[in-house]
Amino acid sequence: MSIVEVRNLVKKYPSFTLDSASFRIEAGRITGFIGRNGAGKTTTIKSMLNLVHPDSGEVDCFGLPLAGNEKAIKKRIGYSTGTVGWYPRKKIRDLVGIVRRFYDTWDEDAYRRYLALFDLDENKAPIELSEGMKVKVNLLLALSHRAEVLILDEPTSGLDPFSRGELLDIFTGLRDEGVAVFFSTHIISDIEKCADDIVYISKGRIAAAMPREAFAAQFSKDGESLEETMLRLERGEQHA
Amino acid sequence: MRDILRKEIRLSASPLAFLFIAFGLMFLIPGYPILCSAFFVTLGLFQSFQFAREANDIVFSALLPVAKRDVVRGKYLFVCGVEACALVLMLLAVLVRMTVLKDAPVYRANALMNANLFALGTALLIFGLFNLIFLGGFFKTAYKMGRAFVTYIVCAFLTVGAAEALHHIPGLAPVNAFGTDHIGLQLLLLAAGAAAFALLTFLSYNGACRNFERIDL
Repeated sequence: MSIVEVRNLVKKYPSFTLDSASFRIEAGRITGFIGRNGAGKTTTIKSMLNLVHPDSGEVDCFGLPLAGNEKAIKKRIGYSTGTVGWYPRKKIRDLVGIVRRFYDTWDEDAYRRYLALFDLDENKAPIELSEGMKVKVNLLLALSHRAEVLILDEPTSGLDPFSRGELLDIFTGLRDEGVAVFFSTHIISDIEKCADDIVYISKGRIAAAMPREAFAAQFSKDGESLEETMLRLERGEQHA
Repeated sequence: MRDILRKEIRLSASPLAFLFIAFGLMFLIPGYPILCSAFFVTLGLFQSFQFAREANDIVFSALLPVAKRDVVRGKYLFVCGVEACALVLMLLAVLVRMTVLKDAPVYRANALMNANLFALGTALLIFGLFNLIFLGGFFKTAYKMGRAFVTYIVCAFLTVGAAEALHHIPGLAPVNAFGTDHIGLQLLLLAAGAAAFALLTFLSYNGACRNFERIDL
């Protein structure tokens, strides 16, 4: 069942165009959104969250159009925006104290669990944290309110290999609970480890949106890893 | 709506926005252009917007489970709340000067405008100008604010100058009334200021909602 459906999203900038992006995010599956820097991943995600106003196209979540249902839809989504830090001098405790009030579904147990797992100190402010720890603060907020779909922009960037592994395990656990996880990355091994579906964007166009096995069957040569396939595709070489 | 206002107060606001409310009491200073107090209150708000911009406040707010229109509403509620607190202090000062201190020589010998209901109405007009020019201007981009603030400064000080000059014009002395003299006119001028505030804020808010919906964050 599609939880999120993106149809023909177009966003034109002077030097970049997101060209008619269409794909679906399915319940209980992990979707890796892959593309090199500047391919349009963040523009697509921002459009899905109504942070960027697309020139045309639609985004439906839970069967409802995002336009006009923003508040109800956002309550059911968890999102994280990489290493962007909020309120650098406010304590995490204060930040969470405000955010939790916006969610009827705030899960204090989950919050405490992820706080311990990410080894975050509530009394620290973002300015005292490394880039990787800032990513964890954003993930903490995204994971603590029983979201039905997680939309995460570069959630593994800046994380050490151990934390990345833990995070990918969290994704797998959430998928098993029926949560849809959609995360962008340019680290292909993250996709190989846990993604069920792949959305591949190149130069503003969705080049592929399909299950990982179908992607491998269509694009990979025999014995080729996903990383090797992606590198070859980005170099503009013919697919298998 | 209470939650987004709480976020404005606890996360977005600079302490200066609250401290500068105290400038409302400048309505008690004799021989001083008292309407500058309204400007100082808005200076604190301007500082607060700069503080919030450095904290990525607008994007954070837009990511919360609220409609984009609610982000705008939160900012307007916060600004109007600060202005209302300052107006309460100004009103208290005006009431003191209209009653127990109405014959105080230090106020009677004041060449500048008296702190009366007309002054309060003009302070409302200045707050309305801030909301229209600065707040409305800010939400055109949600990050640029310098030009809008400079434009507001010019308009605010032209208003201060005009209000200060008014009672020196022959026949317009009643705008500078003491105590309850010309109370009908004074109440009318206060009501006009309040109406201007409401109209300018309403126009600004509607424009800000429209612009904020369109811009990219």
